[in-house]
Amino acid sequence: MITLTINGKEIRLDKPVTVLKAAQQAGIKIPTLCNHELLKPFGGCRLCVVEVERMPKLMTSCTLMAADGMVVRTESDTIADVRRAILEFLLINHPLDCPVCDKAGECELQDAVMQYGPPTGRFIEEKRKVRESHDDPILARNMERCIVCTRCVRMCEDVQGASAISMIERGGRTVMEPFSSRSFNCEYCGNCITACPVGSILSRLYMHSYRPWQMDKEVETICGYCGVGCSFVAQVRDESIKRVIPRIGFGMNNGLLCSKGRFGYGFIEDSGRLKTPLIRKGDALVESTWDDALDLVAEKLTEIKDSYGGRAIGGIASARCTNEDNYVFQKFMRVACGTNNIDSISRTGYAAAQKYFEGLLGQGINANIIGGIKRSDMVLVLGGDPASVNPVLGLSIRAAAKAGAEVAVIGHAPGLERYKTINVLPPLFKEADILEALLLEVFRARGNRGESHAIDRAVSEFDKEYSGKTDMHGLEELKDKLLKSDSISIVFGMDLVQRTDGHRALFATAGLTHLLEARLYLLSERPNEQGVIDAGCVPDMLPGGRPLGIPDFRRRYEDAWKRPIPDTEGMTLMEMIEGAKKGDMKALYIMGDNPVFNLPDRTFIKESLASLDFLVVQDIFLTETAELADVVLPALGWPEKSGTYTNLERRIQLLRKTVETTSGMDDWSIISRLSCRMGYDMLYTDAENVMDEISRVSPLYRNLSYKEISDKECLWPYNGEPLRGEAKDIKVIKEKSRDYDADLYLALDKPLFHSGSISQRSPGLMDISPEPRLKIGTRLAEKMCLKDGDNVIISADRGSISIRVSIDPCVNGKVVLMSNNFKEKGALGIMGYNLDPVTKAPGIEGCAVTLRRG
Amino acid sequence: MLKEIEDIKAKYPDTRAALLPALYIAQKEFGWLSLDAMKAVANALNLPESDVRGTASFYSMFRLKPAGRNLIQLCTNISCMILGAERLRDLLKDRYGLLPGGTTEDGRFSLVIMECIGACGTAPAMLVNTDLYENLTEHNIAEILGKYK
Repeated sequence: MITLTINGKEIRLDKPVTVLKAAQQAGIKIPTLCNHELLKPFGGCRLCVVEVERMPKLMTSCTLMAADGMVVRTESDTIADVRRAILEFLLINHPLDCPVCDKAGECELQDAVMQYGPPTGRFIEEKRKVRESHDDPILARNMERCIVCTRCVRMCEDVQGASAISMIERGGRTVMEPFSSRSFNCEYCGNCITACPVGSILSRLYMHSYRPWQMDKEVETICGYCGVGCSFVAQVRDESIKRVIPRIGFGMNNGLLCSKGRFGYGFIEDSGRLKTPLIRKGDALVESTWDDALDLVAEKLTEIKDSYGGRAIGGIASARCTNEDNYVFQKFMRVACGTNNIDSISRTGYAAAQKYFEGLLGQGINANIIGGIKRSDMVLVLGGDPASVNPVLGLSIRAAAKAGAEVAVIGHAPGLERYKTINVLPPLFKEADILEALLLEVFRARGNRGESHAIDRAVSEFDKEYSGKTDMHGLEELKDKLLKSDSISIVFGMDLVQRTDGHRALFATAGLTHLLEARLYLLSERPNEQGVIDAGCVPDMLPGGRPLGIPDFRRRYEDAWKRPIPDTEGMTLMEMIEGAKKGDMKALYIMGDNPVFNLPDRTFIKESLASLDFLVVQDIFLTETAELADVVLPALGWPEKSGTYTNLERRIQLLRKTVETTSGMDDWSIISRLSCRMGYDMLYTDAENVMDEISRVSPLYRNLSYKEISDKECLWPYNGEPLRGEAKDIKVIKEKSRDYDADLYLALDKPLFHSGSISQRSPGLMDISPEPRLKIGTRLAEKMCLKDGDNVIISADRGSISIRVSIDPCVNGKVVLMSNNFKEKGALGIMGYNLDPVTKAPGIEGCAVTLRRG
Repeated sequence: MLKEIEDIKAKYPDTRAALLPALYIAQKEFGWLSLDAMKAVANALNLPESDVRGTASFYSMFRLKPAGRNLIQLCTNISCMILGAERLRDLLKDRYGLLPGGTTEDGRFSLVIMECIGACGTAPAMLVNTDLYENLTEHNIAEILGKYK
């Protein structure tokens, strides 16, 4: 225990901290400029000087550790004189243009000068002139205002790990610049904006459009881009989000954001937003009223249900919708339409993986706190780039690496290129081979854990069956390091699920997770992929992950919903689409997703949907799928909704309505109105009311209220009961992997600046990344004499796309990467697929392509 | 150049420590440090590009603008100044069109005015590349520069 006195107040410390922190804990404010909560002490600005008894000189409190018996004074005439002198120096070159500076009102320099002076400067020399740089698409750089605290550079290097900017020159000429001195060409997390104490780094997105004290409201909410669910404060004026700011200590992102979160909210104000329901009249979709549209949907669905039975109706839910939306949706499908045909696009990745892992390792296996990654001594990253799919989770991996953890990457993860310590290079599309080999090596070295019988049996059986080779490049080193590590995190990306033999990688990963007692994290591209499952939007499970096949569980929900639930499992996503093509599926109800764009083989998907008797799409834009619909219903974007999301840690968080709109209706509200018209009353008053029902009915969420979710961390297993019970035996099928001998393959890229098809409607993200690029390796570029930005035509069996290339040294020579985020230029559209027989996820590997200049 | 950088890397505990010598090697190779040259150094040492540029811009001995084939570093500190260094500076301007910080049109010489090179007893003095010349006069300077093409 350390006891010290600050300003006459006795302070007891449990653990050693700096004098500055000790003062802050006691509520004593010491002015600082170069100090930042997320950064290491720097001692550069000297503003935090204090007097310490028996120390001859003033000391910088940010670097001085508190010691027992210390007597500190934070304010005195001497200290005020020194602070005034420091500020006078800082103002020698500062332009004092507060009236036109966006930072005015929340500027740390302004605050310090207001408190300590000087009222006038004594320096008569001319001030340094540096042109404000608008060379970057989104970050403005004003180096006249810069006080060289280096917080931005340290943030970029130590926290974000991007190292895109540095201090250039020295002495009075020092400025912060990105490498190119013009555009930042960085990850555009904008955490340098948060770090800057003055107005030197500003977002051009909202520059000169607000004053921090003139906001109408501030809403504490969460980001709806990916499965991390970062918290931020959205500042609103005239029902328009001006900017979002993260705060230290608020949410698990603790003051950090990524490019999508910080700059991606603009899509809600896109002019293409749907405003009224649309009904098909011949070839055209014409504007209609809610009553007419809902009457028509109710009538058609009832008709199809009566003539073909519920099995001819299917529903596709969305991981961008809230738990409340999805719960109401599955209830409507099961009870009002009489079908268990409910799934979501998450079947192509997260839902498939999650189900497999839970089946083998038990419910809640992926409920691990992101912060745990930082404390690992080894991180194994498989099949995806955390730094672009879930950027803020990626930061934890970088932090672990900086703290000395081993990082091994199997797959394409350019965002971890500088951080990986072990190089494993599996042949193209053969990550499963390496994982299986690794599993066996670990099993042979360590043996069974002997707790969970099903997985132990499966691994032993697999060991007997296995005949493949286990001597692959880097494998030995990886195995040794894994066996030496005490605390392992496995970060699993969905690239490995989107394989025809995706279950092999899943089995091997499950085995490794079990044998190594690792923490498992599933990368999640959309904000509520876990929530979709927990809300029951899967064909084989009721809400709370209760298997539909068990009559007791079914009865529980039948009692609550007062209607029978069909007892046969429904069709999965691709089965429904294929069913439509075959004519078994007559009507599809799609809520908040765009299968035509987001699933492989566009022509096939379009034909399938066109074969339906009736298609309803509920969305915020007239998407490629909505264009085919018979009825289109306008919904709300996430900043316009209230509800909850469950993130990839299975943390439930509140999404608060940030702006009001007249464009559409809450998804749950549309569905419940429709349900009433179909003779099954759903009379919810608001989203909270829906949550009350969920927490009453779902055993997972017992007594969970919005108040509780908002007041404290709402983590697995909440107040509920996870499903217990022995996992079923998994049949291990020994398979040989396919050979891939074409010259060139197309694979799906998950870019940092885009997500789904909403980011292309966000001006901020479009400024940063205005067009899709085909990423090609250095060798291929040389062979074809291609430079960055050259146009090519990429052709596959199912179509061609004209696109510009960008050269990426991390790309394997036999593959080119393309994203699926831009209209008419989505990779998935020209890729074929084969269903994985176990997970039912579409495998998209092995799409042979040719490339020519064009 | 990459081979040379690889060799010096071995002499230092980590790659960051090898940055200054690596920058020297690159400057020797290219005459000055372009963004591409700094990128090459960053790649060779596996350091962030921005770190390399930050370091290079801090030190005055690294040239971040295109420079001539030969670098003249002329001292104009007190001893040299008293003994006529300023006249030499004017001579370089009049005869070669060479301004401090500038380069001749034919790319043959660049001129930097440097601080004391410690040759006060034999002032005025200058360095051409790494060669030291002392007791300069308006006559012998032309002859000396004639040796550099």
